[in-house]
Amino acid sequence: MSDTRMMDVEVAEDRHSEAMMINMGPQHPSTHGVLRLVLELDGEEVVSCDPDVGFLHRAKEKVGETFSLHKFIPYTDRLDYLAPLSNNVAYALSAEKLMGISCPPRAQAIRVICHELSRISAHLLGLGAYAMDLGAMTIFLWTFRERETIYSLIERICGARFTTSYTRIGGVERDLPEDFWPLLQAFVKEMPGRVDEYEGMLSRNKIWIQRTQGVGVITKEQALQYGLTGPNLRASGVEYDVRKAHPYLGYENYEFDVPIGTEGDCYDRYLCRIMEMRESVKILDQVLNTIPDGPVINREGDAELKSVLPDKQAVLTNMEALIHQFMVGTTDFNMPEGEVYFSAENPKGELGFYIRSEGGFKPTRLRIRGPSFANLQVLTELVPGHMVSDVMAILGSIDFVMGECDR
Amino acid sequence: METLIDFFTGTLGLGPTLALSLAYATAIGSLLGFITVYAMFAIWMERKVAAHIQQRFGPMEVGGWHGWAQSPADALKLMFKEDIIPSGANKVLFWIAPAIVFCGVLAGFIAIPFAAGVQIVDIDLGVFFIIAIASIEVIGVIMAGWSSNSKYSLFGAVREAAQVVSYELPSATALLAPILVVGSFKLGDFNTYQAEHGWIIFSNPFMWIALLVYFIASLAGCKRAPFDLPEAESELVSGFHTEYSGMRFSFFGLEEFVSMLLVSAITCTLFLGGYTLPFNFLDVANLAAPFHLLGVAVLIVKIFAVIFVQMWLRWTLPRMRVDQVMTMGYKYLLPWALFAVAGTAVWHVWMEG
Repeated sequence: MSDTRMMDVEVAEDRHSEAMMINMGPQHPSTHGVLRLVLELDGEEVVSCDPDVGFLHRAKEKVGETFSLHKFIPYTDRLDYLAPLSNNVAYALSAEKLMGISCPPRAQAIRVICHELSRISAHLLGLGAYAMDLGAMTIFLWTFRERETIYSLIERICGARFTTSYTRIGGVERDLPEDFWPLLQAFVKEMPGRVDEYEGMLSRNKIWIQRTQGVGVITKEQALQYGLTGPNLRASGVEYDVRKAHPYLGYENYEFDVPIGTEGDCYDRYLCRIMEMRESVKILDQVLNTIPDGPVINREGDAELKSVLPDKQAVLTNMEALIHQFMVGTTDFNMPEGEVYFSAENPKGELGFYIRSEGGFKPTRLRIRGPSFANLQVLTELVPGHMVSDVMAILGSIDFVMGECDR
Repeated sequence: METLIDFFTGTLGLGPTLALSLAYATAIGSLLGFITVYAMFAIWMERKVAAHIQQRFGPMEVGGWHGWAQSPADALKLMFKEDIIPSGANKVLFWIAPAIVFCGVLAGFIAIPFAAGVQIVDIDLGVFFIIAIASIEVIGVIMAGWSSNSKYSLFGAVREAAQVVSYELPSATALLAPILVVGSFKLGDFNTYQAEHGWIIFSNPFMWIALLVYFIASLAGCKRAPFDLPEAESELVSGFHTEYSGMRFSFFGLEEFVSMLLVSAITCTLFLGGYTLPFNFLDVANLAAPFHLLGVAVLIVKIFAVIFVQMWLRWTLPRMRVDQVMTMGYKYLLPWALFAVAGTAVWHVWMEG
């Protein structure tokens, strides 16, 4: 016990008052995983903020260079681990772009379902954690009620709830079971009411408005400069959604709006996510009515490359197919030379894959553009001048996932 | 108290000094017992209320029926946990802080009338005694925050000091309104007045404002949501008690529930009729000997109604920011409290000539 150790206050020389350095994270309850913020505080006010990322770095990109394209699919589950299906879809589309394979219409529709379900699920968690950071814990558990429904749906889709690895190059692993459709129908019917419930708790709640309006304002210019994407960008008033700007998976055939914010503050980001959930439900409803019949994987498209897995039933009865399966699973297929970049509109923003191939089995470079990484960069400029409590509002509203940021 | 002293001197034939000490020991012992049981029940109730608001069940396993034994089991667990004192902490302050926090709140109960005659001391300045003694808690919290040698703890303690001191103004001012009506600071007088004239809350329209102001200010005083900034778990990990563990930690938790009981008891006694029934249709206070204890049950039912509202708010509202808490205290609650007091005074002068 010594009094000199009571507080290790660090004094910034160019300030009148003593500034306190505080380490927020990586084991802090509201840094959503392992983000570390080094905050310099002057009383309750933040003077500077230095985000320190990399605690969840697992060398995903390097791993991608040691595997063939197929074998990397399970690794994409762990990027944005709140929307694994969405990552699978984005990665499969990038690989298909490199291989030059198209995906059959039914598989496309199924992928849209995957994409939108995981968007709702990720936004629900984002909203719940955001509200919990501001002290409204009930919303968090309410959103988990709906996430449970979504996880059950995902379980029907691919057997796993969390680590899905559902997509394959050229399509999806298997067709959806018959009993999936009524479940999805029920979910689509129920969800808007649930969103109303969340809105009823927060949208006109005086304390919620006080805590979020005018807090953490990201201007249009800032948002563009820092390369923000997803709801964070749109809340700042930039109308950019990959699904609209560069339609993929037949998104041009579905009718949906892209919610745009006006102020770019925490409240707008909250509203954007709420409205996106509603739009996603709309898309799901349209898919339900328009989904075509047909194969879910394109086996004809790559007769030459033999990069698509054969039909499992054929593998068990046909020697050719067995060899094909063995080749894809072990020695892999030769990739065409070239480089591609493909990005999809993931829940957190634009998830991009850059794949460069010089032939052979493995890509020579696999670069992942994680939206959370870009979204977090703005913190350094955004947080100073706010109060400590506002840091939570800002972190919650930016809605990041460290798995994708650190990769 | 007199009954107890009589029992010890008369029935057991003890000397007056010994009888007095024994009487106080019995009274305070039963108070402690009551508070312990209450705290366990309130913690269980809090978890149940939270669970049902959040569409869960809450504790269901321990003890069989709806997990009733969860709180005693938790208390037992906490007692056997290691008492960790951080190496950089100031041991003496760290050690006594939970005791000070708890004692401050506990001392407030000696002036609370639970039923006719069930009151340890009817102090002349009862209302202000409770307000004053309950604020000793802040000292304990600051000691805890400072001695923990943690920045988060210090942050929590400073917030607590600022908040509790600021909210004592509106809460004490709001309490002046019922005091004006009754014309006494003695808590016992509030019950006799309300048995005669009906509940104070119905005495004039300004009393509703006073009640609302006091209720909000008392939430802040108990560090209940939306004013739980000192222990805001998403910001300050757990504020001033971040470094505490085991039994010492549980004292802080206990203190929160006990101060909820205290402020609810004040709310009920000063505004909601104390231990009297609505319209006094059954004069509980003047029932024959053991039946006047029914007042305790009446008061407890009212207290739990108020506590339920406190819990309900906690699980509904987000947390406020520290500057907003101060703005609310000084710019809204204090003027409204003054308005209620002035309104009450004018109303009673005008109505009663």
